[in-house]
Amino acid sequence: MPRRAGHFTIWPPMKFSLAVYSAPHSAQSASSALRFAKTVLQQGHEIYRVFFYCDGVQNGNATAAPPQDEIDLTAEWQVLGQQHQLDLVICIAAAQRRGVLNQREAERLERPAANLADGFELAGLGQLTDAVANSDRLITFGS
Amino acid sequence: MSIKSLALCRTAPYGNALAREGIEAVLAAAAMDQAVDLLFLGDGVFQLLDHQSPADIGQKSLRRNLQALPMFGIEQFFVCEKSLAEREITLEQIQVAGAETKTVKDTGSLIASYPTVLSF
Repeated sequence: MPRRAGHFTIWPPMKFSLAVYSAPHSAQSASSALRFAKTVLQQGHEIYRVFFYCDGVQNGNATAAPPQDEIDLTAEWQVLGQQHQLDLVICIAAAQRRGVLNQREAERLERPAANLADGFELAGLGQLTDAVANSDRLITFGS
Repeated sequence: MSIKSLALCRTAPYGNALAREGIEAVLAAAAMDQAVDLLFLGDGVFQLLDHQSPADIGQKSLRRNLQALPMFGIEQFFVCEKSLAEREITLEQIQVAGAETKTVKDTGSLIASYPTVLSF
């Protein structure tokens, strides 16, 4: 496969998982994660799972309302997730601390609202362990 | 399902949630019988220091989580020798009961020897 300046093509196809630690609009790495995901999918690779951890859980917060001229990472993940049937997993422990809850958790924890965006699911840290075991590469997008 | 991975602990224990959440991820992996080794480097070596008083700043002890690791089969900690020297921390100050502390000179080669690396 050809390699152009500033542009890698990874070959043969691999199974990637992504760990995302930063919130949208706080650090560039949240946006880099999405761009990386789009690129590897475009190049014919597979994404086994995207695991949102630490402040990264805010990527699944449906109540965030960024200005119209800024990128809406939650919406972008939803579109990409639907196109490619991505497993977009939000760490439940990290999400509870930061107030990203689905209906069930909001009721169980007696909180006034559920705000988990469609297309994302809450699950435990075991899903990160599972991703490590079942992917060729785990790419971390840090805080 | 027996790939050994390496977790990098790079942040000081209480300034950033990443230190705690990193150790929590390691505990979760260990509880699932996934082999994980730890490498403390940079400010991450501060996590191992004894005589921490996190209650003074309203924090839970992270060292308590580290002390639980041997119970989950993690019985050795790799520590970057240069990071210790730069911070004038001695081996005696970073001992955790039930775990052997091994200093590492060439962290690059250690990291390169693992198929998967988790970075916290």
